[in-house]
Amino acid sequence: ANGEKEGLGIDEEIKIVKKRQPIAKLDETRLLSAAGIPKLRRISKDRLKFKGKGHEFSDVARLLNMYQLWLDDLYPRAKFADGLAIIEKLGHSKRIQMMRREWIEEGKPKATEEIDPEE
Amino acid sequence: AQGTLDEWAQPVVDPEVRAFIYSLVTAVGGSNSGEDGRYVLGDDALACLKDLIRWIRLYDQRLNRLDVARCLAEANLVKGDLLEILAKYSEKVTADKLKHKIALACLELLVPLTWPVEIDTLEATVNHHRHAPFLQLAQIGYKRAILQYDSAKILQTAVRIALPSMAEPRKERTQRDEGIIRLVLYFMRNVTMISQPQTLPIDGDEAEVSRSATIDAFYSQDILQVLLTVASSMGDEFVSQDVVILEILFHLLKGVDVEKLFMEEQKLASTNTDELKSLIQKEKAMLAGYARHAPTRHNRFGTMIWVKRDDDRVSTISGQDVLGKAQKSMQKMDKTKKWNKPRHRGPKKDDEGSREEFDLAVPISSSARKHLRAFVEDFLDSSFNPLFIHLRKAIEREEERIEARHSRQYFYLVSWFLKAECTRRRRLKERAADSNGSTVLSVEDESFGLVAGVMNQETFILLNRFMQRSQDDKAWQDLNAGMKCFTQILLTVQEMSESSLEDDQEIAENIQNRIFYEESTHDRIITILRSYKDQGFGYLNACTELSHVFLRMLERYSKQNVDLQIRSRRRARKKRKAAVQTEDMENGEEGNASEAEDLAEAQRATTERKFDFARFSAKFMTQNCINTFVSFIRFYNDLSAEQLKRAHRFFYRVAFKMELGIILYRVDILQLFNKMIKGPEGLDPDMPAFKEWEEFVRHFFRSIVKKVQERPELVVEMLFSKISATIFFLEHGYDREVTTRT
Repeated sequence: ANGEKEGLGIDEEIKIVKKRQPIAKLDETRLLSAAGIPKLRRISKDRLKFKGKGHEFSDVARLLNMYQLWLDDLYPRAKFADGLAIIEKLGHSKRIQMMRREWIEEGKPKATEEIDPEE
Repeated sequence: AQGTLDEWAQPVVDPEVRAFIYSLVTAVGGSNSGEDGRYVLGDDALACLKDLIRWIRLYDQRLNRLDVARCLAEANLVKGDLLEILAKYSEKVTADKLKHKIALACLELLVPLTWPVEIDTLEATVNHHRHAPFLQLAQIGYKRAILQYDSAKILQTAVRIALPSMAEPRKERTQRDEGIIRLVLYFMRNVTMISQPQTLPIDGDEAEVSRSATIDAFYSQDILQVLLTVASSMGDEFVSQDVVILEILFHLLKGVDVEKLFMEEQKLASTNTDELKSLIQKEKAMLAGYARHAPTRHNRFGTMIWVKRDDDRVSTISGQDVLGKAQKSMQKMDKTKKWNKPRHRGPKKDDEGSREEFDLAVPISSSARKHLRAFVEDFLDSSFNPLFIHLRKAIEREEERIEARHSRQYFYLVSWFLKAECTRRRRLKERAADSNGSTVLSVEDESFGLVAGVMNQETFILLNRFMQRSQDDKAWQDLNAGMKCFTQILLTVQEMSESSLEDDQEIAENIQNRIFYEESTHDRIITILRSYKDQGFGYLNACTELSHVFLRMLERYSKQNVDLQIRSRRRARKKRKAAVQTEDMENGEEGNASEAEDLAEAQRATTERKFDFARFSAKFMTQNCINTFVSFIRFYNDLSAEQLKRAHRFFYRVAFKMELGIILYRVDILQLFNKMIKGPEGLDPDMPAFKEWEEFVRHFFRSIVKKVQERPELVVEMLFSKISATIFFLEHGYDREVTTRT
């Protein structure tokens, strides 16, 4: 009985286990990729035009729409609110926090740069 | 293989046990087969009843099963025998020894049978899970039978059994007498406590076992009087009965709306009409909201539109409802997504059962309202102080009869009665004002003496300890009750300080001094607000209310008392340590023993310092506190005007008074505010609170638009909670000048 089982292994069917397609995740890497925050910084510069006083609600609606479309491009799977929650959580990680500081530093006037030894 | 269904069905109870029980139940007695059909006791009824008691004790309780209880429920013992026997125990036969014994035996059976069935996760066996739903429904049946029994007053009869023992002076009461009194009171508690579990189907008319029905029955059978008698002589004639009375009161009053209880009949009717009107209005607004966006043609009309995106791409959306409405199409794009972020599915912090404990409003019929109101007024006048002082002492001493739930019930009831007293006083004043001085308020009406029993330092200490402990143990329901109590105490003190009596003002001043003097109290309230996470709406409501009330009163108080000092416990280790060391050198070996104590003391040195309200309220303006209020306002469509106002005041304080709007600049918050005002499914524009909110949101949005233009970095930062290091820069556009000591 033992020999039968061992055989040559020819008769045995080769099982092919299909690997499941990994689900894309909204993680730090994706958030920092070109389609992520860098893109948000770019489009916010040339697309956001505000009307100012008297148009508060439409201005904010435009702002929200910008975020929504951006998020839809970045991670089409998630609803707006869910996506925001995921990103907010990512914001607590060390890596993102460092990047956030850097982005803020970039915006600061150059003169202040040398004062801050901690960075 | 032919057979009946019975052969297939698994017997739930050992057939032998069932047979024993059934034969005992049959032997207790039965209806007369003669024409009148009256109930006749069996020859050995007393022995049979005693046997049944023994079965419950030795089988169910000792072996930790519920089999006997199940059999007795199926055999209809309560309605068929026990109540029949009790009904025969009329006033005339009280003196009969044997009948008294039989009646007592009935009661001894009724109490364990009506005892709440709880599934204790540690001790529960398969048997418990099998029998519990059946027994819970059976108990509803028991309650219905007891309350609705038509030929005799069962509850009153039960009290009559205990009357001889109660009449005995406490010193001369035997153990047995005490036992009988306890039995009757627990019977009352069980009857009050039984209520329709939400998870089980409703069997029969729910109104027959509702709170109103219970109150009506308690009134008509003079049980309320009994409760008053026992409660008012608590401490001299009665001692160990305090916890049972506490439980009865708790289950009788929990969830009852105090405001409505004290409303005049007419006013209540008009309030109810207003409520109905506003509900209809709300529904109308909701339907109108839908109609505005509803398709104008049939559902197979098949419109399809493009939304242009950047890079010349387009998204398609179907449905004519989005035509020509850019905002609407954005919402629809979002709504059609199928994936939802998985929610955390850990063990729930707040299970349904405990939430229902007191955060669920209970409606009350008008007759029950009248009786309950009279009872509450009498109770406040006669029994509140003796009972609650006595209970406080028992809790402090950690008496054996005090169980974990009793502290929670105690603090809940304190808050309930304080609220009742304040409401009653307000009504009295209104009435006096209405009648133009024809009814003059007496000094007694004016003074707060009736609730003085809980407005003292001992209670505050107990409450503080209780809140701290439940917070440490993560016992959220306990903390919920504690917060409710503390809020109500603050409100009562506030009313007291506005009293026309100088004595009261002085007392109020003293109490406020003490409450606001301890910094640990201040810190606790902040910590509670900050650490909210999924404890349920009732808890959320309680902690936001506490913060709101506390902050407001402290603000007012610190304005009046500019030189307010507070006692804070700070770590002053280094300084003291040095002092201890030098001392040691001088004293040589001697100092060693007390060194540890000294150190511990030094670590928690108590210092006094001047209180600075601005600094204190800044502590509320942290991200976590804001998250708590944001989770609160997410329920905006279910909040009352008062609750909306509370949230409004908080956000207003953050954004404009403290000028810390920066921590509110977050996309999810923006979206929430936008939705509240602009819909869809937003706040009803006809609501009184709407105007306030709209004004606030408009202001807030304006500040955002301005800030974003000033500092483009904000576009990214608005996605996240802010880091404390960068808040200052984002707010002001330059770094805080750090003065370093050199």
